[in-house]
Amino acid sequence: MPTLIVDGRTVQAREGAFLLEAARQAGVAIPTLCEHPAVEPYGGCRLCVVDITRASWDGWQKMVVSCLYPVEDGLVVSTRTPRVVETRRVVLDLLLARCPETPLIQGLAREHGIEKTTFAPNEGKTDCILCALCTRICDVIGASAIAAVDRGIGREIAPPFREPPDRCIGCLACAEVCPTGHIKYETSDRRRVIWDKEFEMLRCPNCGRAHITKLQAAHFEKKSGVPASYYEPCDACKRATVVASANALKIPRPGQTPRQNPGQV
Amino acid sequence: MNPMPCHDPAPLDGILARYPHDEPSLIQVLQDVHHAYNYLPCDVLLKVAETLEVPLPRVFSVATFYKAFSLSPQGKVIVKICTGTACHIRGAPQLVDELERQLHLKPGQTTQDMAFTLKTVNCVGACAMAPLVIVNEKYHGNAKAAEMTGYLKTGSDDVR
Amino acid sequence: MSAETRVESKAAFEAWRDRLRTERGGRKAEVLVCCGTGCLANGARDVAEAIDGAMRARGLDASVGFFEKHTGCHGFCERGPLVLLRPSGVLYTRVKPRDAKAIVEETVEKGQIVQKLLYRNPETKKPVEKYDEIPFYANQTRVAMRRIGQIDPTDLGDAVAAGAYAGMVRALLEMKPEAVIAEVEASGLRGRGGAGFATARKWKSCRQAKGERKFILCNGDEGDPGAFKDRSIMEGDPHSVVEGMVIGAYAVGAHEGYVYVRDEYPLAVVNLTLALEQARKAGLLGKNILGTGFDFDIRISRGGGAFVCGESSALMRSLEGKVGEPRAKYVHATDRGLFDLPTVLNNVETWSDVGAILEHGGAWFAGMGTAKSKGTKAFSLVGKVKNTGLIELPMGTTMRHIVYGIGGGIKDDRPFKAVQTGGPSGGCVPASMLDVPVDYEKLTEAGSMMGSGGMIVMDDRTCMVDVARYFLKFLVEESCGKCTPCREGLKQMLAMYEDLCAGRGREGDLARIERLAAAMQLGSLCDLGRSAPNPVLSTLKHFRDEYVAHIRDKDCPAGICRDLVIYDIVAERCEGCRVCIKACPTGAITGELKQAHVLDQSKCISCGSCFDVCPTDAVVWSKKTANAGGKEAA
Repeated sequence: MPTLIVDGRTVQAREGAFLLEAARQAGVAIPTLCEHPAVEPYGGCRLCVVDITRASWDGWQKMVVSCLYPVEDGLVVSTRTPRVVETRRVVLDLLLARCPETPLIQGLAREHGIEKTTFAPNEGKTDCILCALCTRICDVIGASAIAAVDRGIGREIAPPFREPPDRCIGCLACAEVCPTGHIKYETSDRRRVIWDKEFEMLRCPNCGRAHITKLQAAHFEKKSGVPASYYEPCDACKRATVVASANALKIPRPGQTPRQNPGQV
Repeated sequence: MNPMPCHDPAPLDGILARYPHDEPSLIQVLQDVHHAYNYLPCDVLLKVAETLEVPLPRVFSVATFYKAFSLSPQGKVIVKICTGTACHIRGAPQLVDELERQLHLKPGQTTQDMAFTLKTVNCVGACAMAPLVIVNEKYHGNAKAAEMTGYLKTGSDDVR
Repeated sequence: MSAETRVESKAAFEAWRDRLRTERGGRKAEVLVCCGTGCLANGARDVAEAIDGAMRARGLDASVGFFEKHTGCHGFCERGPLVLLRPSGVLYTRVKPRDAKAIVEETVEKGQIVQKLLYRNPETKKPVEKYDEIPFYANQTRVAMRRIGQIDPTDLGDAVAAGAYAGMVRALLEMKPEAVIAEVEASGLRGRGGAGFATARKWKSCRQAKGERKFILCNGDEGDPGAFKDRSIMEGDPHSVVEGMVIGAYAVGAHEGYVYVRDEYPLAVVNLTLALEQARKAGLLGKNILGTGFDFDIRISRGGGAFVCGESSALMRSLEGKVGEPRAKYVHATDRGLFDLPTVLNNVETWSDVGAILEHGGAWFAGMGTAKSKGTKAFSLVGKVKNTGLIELPMGTTMRHIVYGIGGGIKDDRPFKAVQTGGPSGGCVPASMLDVPVDYEKLTEAGSMMGSGGMIVMDDRTCMVDVARYFLKFLVEESCGKCTPCREGLKQMLAMYEDLCAGRGREGDLARIERLAAAMQLGSLCDLGRSAPNPVLSTLKHFRDEYVAHIRDKDCPAGICRDLVIYDIVAERCEGCRVCIKACPTGAITGELKQAHVLDQSKCISCGSCFDVCPTDAVVWSKKTANAGGKEAA
């Protein structure tokens, strides 16, 4: 198990882990924006930068992103050197110029001592920080309905031809994982709209509430083999059904052997 | 999708037959498609995505990332000004100005009558002949703004 | 003459080569017309057709020993179109189609020189007949470009007769892979694409990497504006690249290769495609190369117009059919590169050097250059220099020798200001550093870098603030957009520079620029972003006074920034030649022949074209003052 030092604390890290995980293990917090446990690390926001060195480097330091740099035995990691802190500040200053009215960015910037951006604020205000969490989670789910389009400063997240995406199943994962709330959607018992696409909902046969789109259920059926009809009942009614059938059982007390109740599912 | 006239599929079929149907072929296929159709039509992109088994969003991503590709129809004559460093210091900005004046176009635009498209290119590697004007693949080195009309005529001589 | 049968032994190769040499030696004459992209841009195609027509008209064809060939780039682009004659070695410059008759009837048929087509030495004023007596060529040491301009790149026989594949034959038939790597190590060869990484070390890592499937890649993206050496090698001697890649594949144990050619180089794609077909037919590429049982084949992949794809990890993504987004290099490509498999990526010039190194030995290559930068380097010398073109010199040659000795000095004899090297990742070498010996370390120490070998010479009519602004604009268009410091940082840096060039600079701007530059250098994902501040920092270091003039005085000392200067004509000096009227893009100048011309400020855009062409220094420029009658900046 690779042993490294993070801000003076010794950590025995998991083989194959990245520095970010080792730091958290050591109880050291590193700010992140484009990182999320459900997706592979991306290395795009550059907020999680740290300085690394080794005894043999004679004090020479290298700045790397902790979300992607693999742990190595003997590595010495510093998460708050002056140049690390300054780099994070500039990154947030730049993001604040891009998204001057986004609460998450305003808050993070403020934590790093920035009240107002020193750069020219973006005229077309946006909440999108191009962290690509939405496109990555969409790929993980298997829909791959949206992607990063264009390049450089014109880069944006969009469906093909900027039209309602054919492959979108309306699962809302992108909106849930978006850290700034940039992705807007509408969902109600009657309909769901996201990326300008309207979805037909499946209604719970028990209570009539709509909680999942037809396309999403069909997608999960294709991926897992579990029939789409399984997804029709909403979670609340599913739980009620399970509890009801459990109440028909005699629940054994601790120490007793359970007795099968005839007629139990 | 905007209803668009469907394009002649024959060139596309020929192109797809030349490459393995997988993601690594994508950019080469798009190059050939762009050459055959003078841009990347969206119905053709749909067929490419289907055949190569690459999700359409990724195909669109690639089509918009690489500046060799245009997603809207281009003019019959494509005029490119090289804006590499050597060309820049030897007068490329004046050439762009002159073309903007003559064609009433900004780089990236096409004339209403679809006759000309103006583009800038970040270095064609003919730096010793800076500045360059390229009209439908005909290179004009040591270009002068005063001779622009002449260069433009060479494009109409061999229209695509 | 192509090989009718596959070459499967050293003896067969040498016999074939000797036949090719004998046949060529017996020719009466060869007329080699340079058809590199530069000369083509100057009308070489018409010259070639005219010569071909003239030769046929005189019955001078192959059957009687007369050949007309199209070659790749000689390098002396300033003097093109170029025609080289063999066996005499006479070089004709600035050839026009109407000169074809004289060339054929006098020189080809009768051996008489057409004096007016000769290069004239500007110092001695004497004409020079022979190619290798012209200082531009005499002062070069061509290794990577050894055959360019001497052979028809579409003729395998020409290439082999001139030495192609000799190194490969030696490597594959007489050496073990480890010995091949040792030879490259002895040569001291370092990557010629810019990074200067030790080639042998890269090959060793890949050889040692686990896995059966490995790749050999050639980076033909050459994105640095101002550099065109790779184009010339791919167009003018594609076999040198093929040969190098086969040797590399043999050394590391790879069986698949790609040449990634930038979209903007169509002729390179054509000539490389042809070369691959020819090499396969001759048994020099593909299955069972030279009968050794070693298989290796190469495919060509075109770029899509993205400078970032010159970066090795972005190039690999592009080969995979993806967008050119670089990856963190914490894991080396020699372990996980193309398709996450062990990969060696080298530059076109590096591959071309490899063949020569295996042919003549590592010690031969290491005998040239400096202590840490061995061998020779190709440079594209462009910009405000008299002899623009492509040159190859031993490492360690001084910048002064390059600009003045070979380049002939500054165009129009204006004052020298700087040489920009390393493209958008590089910096400027000012006059005080002209005696810098050019090698990897020295250029980096001087605040610039070798890069691809592009050398852009600048005179006093170049504004260094504008140069930095130009590179920022270039990179803003080329950034992939994945990481915050590069995507947002370049945008903001460019905005600051546009303010500086428009007279909106403020106190504290330089500090803000330096702060952003530091964050971009440390925080960016790849070298595009990390080195984007180099032109900024280098111009700040050597030309800070220009920045101060822009900020404090709203002045552009070079007279380039259009919002800061106005142009005018001094009537007393004007001789009425109308040259400026023809050059003016907006029709702002009027005047009759031999009458003093007048510049209408309301139409003037301060482009300076009139100043650049005026033969009598009658055009002057001055700082725009608040109440000047000039037109407001657009």
